[in-house]
Amino acid sequence: MTVKLQIVIGIAILFVFGILVNMIRKRGLELKYALSWMLVLCALLIFDCAPRLLIVVSDFLGIYAPVNMIFFLGFCFSLLIIFSLTVALSRMSNSVRTLDQMVALNEKRLQELEQELELKKETKKGNK
Amino acid sequence: MKKLVIIPAYNECKSIRKAVADIKEHAPGFDYVVINDCSTDETLDICRKYGLNHVNLSVNLGIGGAVQTGYIYGCQYGYDVAVQFDGDGQHDAAYLEMMAEKLCETNSDMIIGSRFLKKEGFQSSGLRRIGIRYFSVLLKVLTGKRVTDPTSGMRMVNRDVMKIYAMNYPKDYPEPESVMAILRMGKKVTEVPVIMKERKEGTSSIGGFRSVYYMIKVTLAILMERLRT
Repeated sequence: MTVKLQIVIGIAILFVFGILVNMIRKRGLELKYALSWMLVLCALLIFDCAPRLLIVVSDFLGIYAPVNMIFFLGFCFSLLIIFSLTVALSRMSNSVRTLDQMVALNEKRLQELEQELELKKETKKGNK
Repeated sequence: MKKLVIIPAYNECKSIRKAVADIKEHAPGFDYVVINDCSTDETLDICRKYGLNHVNLSVNLGIGGAVQTGYIYGCQYGYDVAVQFDGDGQHDAAYLEMMAEKLCETNSDMIIGSRFLKKEGFQSSGLRRIGIRYFSVLLKVLTGKRVTDPTSGMRMVNRDVMKIYAMNYPKDYPEPESVMAILRMGKKVTEVPVIMKERKEGTSSIGGFRSVYYMIKVTLAILMERLRT
């Protein structure tokens, strides 16, 4: 890896990091879900600053080319994030279902109470 | 004894009034509630215009979520018996009183109106019958209980099962899976013969590629249900 490439990658990472922080600041992205992305960026930044580390780690894992390790780890991490999103989505759809049902039943109850109230008013008028 | 008919309705503006009239005429001992599952046609307008007792969902939940809303309603309003009744003209309200009697008589937790006990009326198409038979065998293998029509939408339950379904109910294609759920809990399920008509309005939610998805999804759901304790 040339120094030039290192710098380009470094700038790209910082740029993406800036976007991420800005999104969180504007509340467009929940910090909870941004954390995993920040972790990826940090790992990338570390490997970008110290390419030798990449070789050490890939040697340790028995992977021939350091680039392959990047691909492999990146792939695993993407799967992990996608999976956690599926879990979050399942929870979300359950909450939406419960909320929808509760809103509908409360609306119904409200209508009934309104009718009862009107009926009471009318009988009061009738008594007077 | 307070008895409730749950009518899930998604785009059933043409048939919903007929279904309610059928219940009022042939099952006078029952209250009814229409669950409008965020229909895109005039179902809601018709419910309001004719003063039908209805609950209106603001997000489309699918058949499972709609029917579950009915069970929650039944729990909240203190009903002892709840029955699901399709608004598309397949079911006949004349059976409801008989089913309620059977529920008490046999001390069952669920009564299923089965098309195949006496093999009368509309028997569904050949391929579909094979699918239903398959689920029937699957349930028999997993629970040892015989249910001839596990996909029947005409099902009456007591308050116990109502509470269970209010807590947990499958989202799509709920019938076989929910039968499995209560069989697993040792509830008693009894079938009575009914005659169903071919649907007058609307199309089945199952067909074509969907049927492959349906078979796989429901099979897995039933197996998963077996794993729960």
